[in-house]
Amino acid sequence: MTTEELQKENEALHKENELKGEIISMTGHQVRTSLSAMKWVLKMFLDKDFGELSTEQEQMLKKASEQNERVISLVSEMLTLNKAADGAIPYVFTPTEPVPLLEKIIFEFMSESYKKHIELLFLRPENNIPAISADINKLHIVIENLVDNALKYSKEGDKVFVSITPVGNNVDISIKDTGIGIPAEAQSKIFTKFFRADNAQTKDTLGSGIGLYMCKKIVEAHHGSLTFESTGHGSTFHVLIPQIVATDNAK
Amino acid sequence: MAKQVLIIEDDAFLQGLVVRKLSSSGFTVQAAGQWSEADTILKTFSPDIFIIDLVLPGGMDGFAIITEIRKMNQFAQTPIIIFSNLSDEKDQTKAETLGASLFMVKSNFTLDELVEKVNALIK
Repeated sequence: MTTEELQKENEALHKENELKGEIISMTGHQVRTSLSAMKWVLKMFLDKDFGELSTEQEQMLKKASEQNERVISLVSEMLTLNKAADGAIPYVFTPTEPVPLLEKIIFEFMSESYKKHIELLFLRPENNIPAISADINKLHIVIENLVDNALKYSKEGDKVFVSITPVGNNVDISIKDTGIGIPAEAQSKIFTKFFRADNAQTKDTLGSGIGLYMCKKIVEAHHGSLTFESTGHGSTFHVLIPQIVATDNAK
Repeated sequence: MAKQVLIIEDDAFLQGLVVRKLSSSGFTVQAAGQWSEADTILKTFSPDIFIIDLVLPGGMDGFAIITEIRKMNQFAQTPIIIFSNLSDEKDQTKAETLGASLFMVKSNFTLDELVEKVNALIK
């Protein structure tokens, strides 16, 4: 095949891929419209807006609502993956001060954690934290998702701690909760595409619902790592991101 | 006096649900399926807040409508909630740049939460 032919074929493939992406995006948004209608109607039934329910009716509607929420999360994740796959979200790395970023995210979740009676605390570091090279929007999404998860899998009276410490050449941003933990059988699967643990305490939280698979991908694109430990008394997620190394170090 | 809400949403079923919820929460609600209807309603109705979908028929999408509303002196500061199922960052940024007060993805919120946000914005 000549270079020209290859180029043509490449262009055709590229176009086809773009079209597929568009179809996924359009379908996703249309599916969301139906899912919204279901969500609202089920909620109205459960709120007794249409009259009293028998215990069985209420249980069934709750199940239906949970299933619907699951599909809503899947669609959100599919749309995010679709965007990521077509390279529509290139990374832009800039030197970033992590502490103000964390403060901003904690602030976003203040009213939600207050409403749920979960204490959300930022353990402000005593020492200076070195800057990191980050795509600030994407790192924001990662931390936001981890805090969102921590709140989702916690119940009234639980606590969520966010802290940051330098560890070797990295900074370790940790999100620790005193919630229900990740069931042992789920621990090996949480970083797979489209995974949802089914023991969430509440639905409808702030996060973009992109899932831990995408979070891990984003952190790895920062040459970092996303790990966790979990018991029945809560989970801790660690986002490890390399510090910016000064290239002109004085000897 | 009850606070007034204008919703612009072309899906009749969704529109009906939102109208029902807001009315039962004490708001006076008017609804339009596209800008031309909304424009007519605005001749006799002065909302304290707008709730607007993004993808709409009739040649004016939600973005164009925000621009149009912000051009009207009496609504230059009136809160606008974009209530859509588009969720791209660039749609959100665009809506906010044009003057939307809040961007909500429909499938991520219940109608109770919408009412909460409406209350918070017109307080």
